[in-house]
Amino acid sequence: MNRKIIAAALAATLGLSSLTALAANVPAGVKLADKQELVRHNGTEPDSLDPSLYETKPANYIDSDLFEGLTRNGADGSIQPGVAESWKQTDPRTWVFKLRKDARFSDGSPISADDFVYSWQRTVDPKTGSKYTILHEFILNAKDIVNGKKQPKELGVKALDKYTLEVKTTDVVPFFPGLAAMGNMAPLKKDAIEKNGKDWVKPGKMVSNGAYMLSEWVPNNRVVLVKNPNYWNAKSVVVTKVTYNPVESDDTALKMYKSGEMDWTDEIPTGIYASLKSQFGNELRNTPWLGVYYFNLNNKLPEFQDKRVRQALSMVIDRDILTQKVTGNGETPAYSLFVKGTIAGTPTTYAWTKEPMAQRVAEAKKLLSDAGYGPGKKPLNLKITYNTNEMHKKISLFLASEWKTKLGLATSMENQEFKVFVKTRHDGAYQLARNAWIADYNDATTFLDLVRCGSAQNDTFYCSKTVDGLIAEGNQQTDSAKRTAAYSKAMETAMEDYAVIPMFQYSKARLVKSYVGGYTNTNYLDDYLTQDFYIIKH
Amino acid sequence: MSFGWEENQMWSYIFRRMLWAIPTILAVVTLCYVMLHLTPGGPFDSERQVSPAVLANLQAKYHLDQPLWKQYAYYLKDLLHGDLGASFRYADWSVNALVAQALPVSLSIGGTSMIIALVVGVGLGIAAALRQNSMVDYVVMFLGNIGNTVPSFVLGPILILIFAIWLKHPDGNGYLPAGGWDGSVRYMVLPIALLTIINVATIGRIMRAGLVETMTSNFIRTARAKGLPLRTIVFRHALKPALIPVASVLGPLAISSITAAVVTETVFALPGLGKLIVNGASNRDYTLVLGLVVLITVMAVLFNLLVDLIYAVLDPRIRY
Repeated sequence: MNRKIIAAALAATLGLSSLTALAANVPAGVKLADKQELVRHNGTEPDSLDPSLYETKPANYIDSDLFEGLTRNGADGSIQPGVAESWKQTDPRTWVFKLRKDARFSDGSPISADDFVYSWQRTVDPKTGSKYTILHEFILNAKDIVNGKKQPKELGVKALDKYTLEVKTTDVVPFFPGLAAMGNMAPLKKDAIEKNGKDWVKPGKMVSNGAYMLSEWVPNNRVVLVKNPNYWNAKSVVVTKVTYNPVESDDTALKMYKSGEMDWTDEIPTGIYASLKSQFGNELRNTPWLGVYYFNLNNKLPEFQDKRVRQALSMVIDRDILTQKVTGNGETPAYSLFVKGTIAGTPTTYAWTKEPMAQRVAEAKKLLSDAGYGPGKKPLNLKITYNTNEMHKKISLFLASEWKTKLGLATSMENQEFKVFVKTRHDGAYQLARNAWIADYNDATTFLDLVRCGSAQNDTFYCSKTVDGLIAEGNQQTDSAKRTAAYSKAMETAMEDYAVIPMFQYSKARLVKSYVGGYTNTNYLDDYLTQDFYIIKH
Repeated sequence: MSFGWEENQMWSYIFRRMLWAIPTILAVVTLCYVMLHLTPGGPFDSERQVSPAVLANLQAKYHLDQPLWKQYAYYLKDLLHGDLGASFRYADWSVNALVAQALPVSLSIGGTSMIIALVVGVGLGIAAALRQNSMVDYVVMFLGNIGNTVPSFVLGPILILIFAIWLKHPDGNGYLPAGGWDGSVRYMVLPIALLTIINVATIGRIMRAGLVETMTSNFIRTARAKGLPLRTIVFRHALKPALIPVASVLGPLAISSITAAVVTETVFALPGLGKLIVNGASNRDYTLVLGLVVLITVMAVLFNLLVDLIYAVLDPRIRY
């Protein structure tokens, strides 16, 4: 295409955008490149591009560009208006969203509140077979509909008029605007889906409403999106084309980055952070990520029913050495399942973290001895199970070494193929197992599910009435300070019970070319929308 | 080309072999089906647990709630209609669509490299055999050993380092792309080069050994005694029997180059069949794995048949 035309179009775009807030916040004086195209590495092929079906991060990156919910995630991690221009909580369990009148689908048709009702009812309808209903389950009756006990039309969402949407929630859900930003919560165009069936997500057939539209999709090769001229804020969108390359090997992705085929890697290969830092300097970006790495202690086993044993194992692990020497990608030690940046959940730490290691070891030995383990008493043999992966192996070896050298405990290790491992862990057929949780939305409740009695995510089988009581109390709190206090107390109680062994908070390290503008280091959910970026002249 | 035997004999042979392929495919599919379902962990096991109700919905959607024999019957029925089913892992795609997309990539990379490797390998093998224990022989054998012993996950990145990172294109990017695929020659060069190096090594060594052995046979000695020039001896008399061992590795080599070039596909981020089958297995994507198994079995049957026909061309004593 003629470069001059593009440049003129861009100039026009920039002229107009001075009147409104930019999606891509281009600082004054920055010269933009003629070609506004971005190539992003995606860790793997998306599981689906259907907002009702997908559940993986690679799909969410793409669908957050293709679709827009009531709200959207800003580059800095804040919640920005999307299809809704304003919203308010009319009572503790009711949210009312006012939709903008100029929001349109990519085919030019207007978006109304009914399109949200249709989309959400479709997702929870058992016939759709969605694996990812957890966001919708905060809406009244959703769980019963998913379980086949109620009809999809009974979902607690209603179009009060064409541009007003009312949402009833089961508990007090102050973070609902954050949930609404997920691609899964986007409005869907009923006609397009009913006309094309399963193929409605294919190029040429997909009708979406985000800043971009689907132009090309070759599975395991590339997904290409182009700017959607019907997007309500299209005038502020600078990047005109974005390509997602699903490359499963981080080594290959790094080479493609070096050879200039990618502007952005999803991750970096493990173990070479320092050398990449010296080679690429500021192109290596590192952001704390809302995720925690931890180890499960099977609370059902007799040896781990004794809290003293659980505590002894946790307190001798030197997380500083682990994060600096073993993982080394900018992770930070964690002593709670709440991590830095969690809304309504304050991370806590243990008193013993301030003690010198020798003292911690002595205390741990005494705890074990009091519990009846150690020299001259019952032997305690440990077995760590993890899924086959270089990093999990390194961390498991580190743990085994800590327990062997500091407590004299024999530790064996077993690796399993991923699907086998997940089943083993869920069935409780393990003693110690590696685990991790990456938050989908930013609220304490996502992490609390890991310690709540009977939760599908709780496969340590820890169960405490006190913790459950505090969670239930928090769920009903309308006052945000009191809610935070209840949830924080709940997690602290579980941590003081040593329900699990927290290890570290993840960090998202990736390479981003210096000519890609708009990247921030505060997006803890790692939800970067292409519309917030721009390509600097280079 | 003359097969040296009656044409209708040949067609009836081919027909019989094709008939035999049906029970072969059935047996392979059945075995694979049972093994897949015996493997612990299912398509819906993941880090995030699915609630029992959702799991029930999903299983109903994919007929997994039916007894195994019934699911198998459904599968076979669809298979007879040429429908390989819906993929579990790639929810928006049918297995047919995924295979249709990956097969051309694998065929163009694997097929091209096989043809080049055959020509180059046979040529180098002949050169080495005729100048046994000379410098030419040593160089060919040395290269052959490198191709055979240095794993492709080492050779591949070396090629990338040289041609995609060190050597620069005038636009500032690498001279050749480090990975990816858009169907253009630029993206094919490095993966084809890698597969060719590996295949040339195998074919060259076998060709050399075959020719060295043939050249010591009695009928070659007779030909020499008759005073025929070396060129005639090699191309008219020695080459055909020497090619028989090459023909026997051709089938397996072609199948592995086309369907199982997993390392090559991973190193160069290619959307081919090898990666589909490996991911299919680790994701417990039953339909995808079975579909690819059917495809690979059909290809194996065809290649083996082809090799058997080539035998008949090369060796007049072989008749079916």
